[in-house]
Amino acid sequence: MSLEKRNNVQVHGDGPRTMFFAHGFGCDLNMWRLLAQAFAKRYRTVLFDHVGSGASALSAYDRSKYASLQGYADDVNELVAAYATGPALFVGHSVSAMIGMLANLRAPALYAAQIMIGPSPCYINDGDYVGGFTRPDIDGLLTTLESNYLGWSSTMAPAIMGTPERPELAVELTNSFCRTDPEIAKQFARVTFLSDVRAALPELRAPTLILQCTEDLIAPVAVGQYMHRVLPDSTLTLIENVGHCPHLSAPSSSADAIRAFLTSRSL
Amino acid sequence: MDDWKQLLDRAACGLMQTDDSGTFLRANHVFCSWLGYAEDELVGRRRLQDLLTMGARIFHQTHWAPLLRIQGSVSEVKLQLVTRGGEAMPMVLNAIRREHAGGFVHDVAAFVARDRDRYEEELLQSRKRLEVMHALARDRALYAEQMIGIVSHDLRTPLGAIRLATELLASAGAVALDRAVPRIARAVERSNRLIADLLDFTQARVGSGISVTLAPVDVHRAVAEIVEDLRGTYPTRTLSHQTTGAGVAPLDENRLGQVIGNLVANAVAYGEPAAAITVTSALEDSTCTISVHNRGAPIPPPVAATIFEPMTRGTSDGSQARSVGLGLFIVREITRAHAGTAAVESSVEQGTTFRVVVPR
Repeated sequence: MSLEKRNNVQVHGDGPRTMFFAHGFGCDLNMWRLLAQAFAKRYRTVLFDHVGSGASALSAYDRSKYASLQGYADDVNELVAAYATGPALFVGHSVSAMIGMLANLRAPALYAAQIMIGPSPCYINDGDYVGGFTRPDIDGLLTTLESNYLGWSSTMAPAIMGTPERPELAVELTNSFCRTDPEIAKQFARVTFLSDVRAALPELRAPTLILQCTEDLIAPVAVGQYMHRVLPDSTLTLIENVGHCPHLSAPSSSADAIRAFLTSRSL
Repeated sequence: MDDWKQLLDRAACGLMQTDDSGTFLRANHVFCSWLGYAEDELVGRRRLQDLLTMGARIFHQTHWAPLLRIQGSVSEVKLQLVTRGGEAMPMVLNAIRREHAGGFVHDVAAFVARDRDRYEEELLQSRKRLEVMHALARDRALYAEQMIGIVSHDLRTPLGAIRLATELLASAGAVALDRAVPRIARAVERSNRLIADLLDFTQARVGSGISVTLAPVDVHRAVAEIVEDLRGTYPTRTLSHQTTGAGVAPLDENRLGQVIGNLVANAVAYGEPAAAITVTSALEDSTCTISVHNRGAPIPPPVAATIFEPMTRGTSDGSQARSVGLGLFIVREITRAHAGTAAVESSVEQGTTFRVVVPR
């Protein structure tokens, strides 16, 4: 199967460098529609879905391969090797920031920089480390997932109510956005929220931007500060935003922060 | 206007409006009373997500919020809200995000979904029950496969020996009697043992477990007799019997013979032929321990981990090893029927010891 089909790869824009955008748990590449276009003028942009999410090839989903973040990271390296012109810029949201880091550690030459939006190396509290969650919280999420996939039909698309102001969106997205096979969603949730890649942070040599929201339940400010302390070469930028998706709720300040970082690193 | 306000307040569902970050701008009477809050405790003070359980908050962040941003609406999302008293209340929520006065507001409708929640819980439970039943069915299919393996392979070996002996008799006549008759007798004995093992195996695997009849048994006396009988079965091997302590234990003496017989057969098959096999019976205050020790190459740890499981088809071992494998499974099942445990320790220095411990 081609990588294009497997990961629903969508290439736009043009420029000497290639920018990859990787969505986090719960969504797909449509997450990037507001942010990615801000970079399409100066960069070649590559959007893709992780296998098991969005319009990726579900037949490529292999439970043992994707039982750890490394399985996703290996896919990322294949994509970057195939689609990048020169060392790539990797933009990862949430768990994908960590997937990008793991990919970078395996093949450092492929990457020029990592841009992490709302990253967390470990979601569960552990001694002095505050990840923000306990194990029962994560079990509660799994129950919520189970409950909602029960409520959804076999296409797993949440029903869309009329959105009179933006009818084009409803039609276009009804069957893609947030669509996931329930078993895959549960495994991805487990792999995401039970991951702990703190030990790998000090190994990452690539210049890294940590884009941290001021109020983010999934990745609290303390986690961003922890990452900034432990990563060898990182910039921490706080964005005034409530929620976990600044690229959706504050796309222009997110784009500004990324541009400022890239300029400061002459990328 | 007052009519409308009253209608909204008393609607057949919870209605609320929040700003783009989820902070309540208003909430109708129905929603407030479901959750036990006064409207002014919510408006401007709490966000919708503050009322969710932690698991639901994660879902809200990873699904609800992005969906609302990109699609402008979400519907039929079921989340657990927490009442002021701390009780979880399942609700189905619909929301629309729309432009209002230069910003965005979310209009949200909520329905209590206790019944749906219970129904789903039942569905999940029945799915789990089905999974258990499916596993059970798979296990039975595996049993059938094992059974076929044993019957088609192991029982053929003694039958083959009998056929060879009868062919010998047919071609050589009476002069072959001395050689053929003991062979046939041994093969018949072996078939009998196998069939007895198969019955025990069946009882343990798909029946109610191996049955035992417990009675006070003078352990050292019983073990001494069993070891003496086994010396007759294995005349070329040295079997020693050691004892510690003294007294009786509640045992099934026939089953005890089977346990020691199977363990000694195993030691004969795998132990160093020149070294003695030691059977030890030890009585402590609350336990009775029977162990069988042999010298020889140790059992590799991965094999030791599953050594009491019945051998499955496709094992590379020969026929003798296969029936021995069934023997150890029977040892464990008999031990379990005595409320005891069976274990193995094996190393180059210490050799191999199978130990069965049952309560007194």
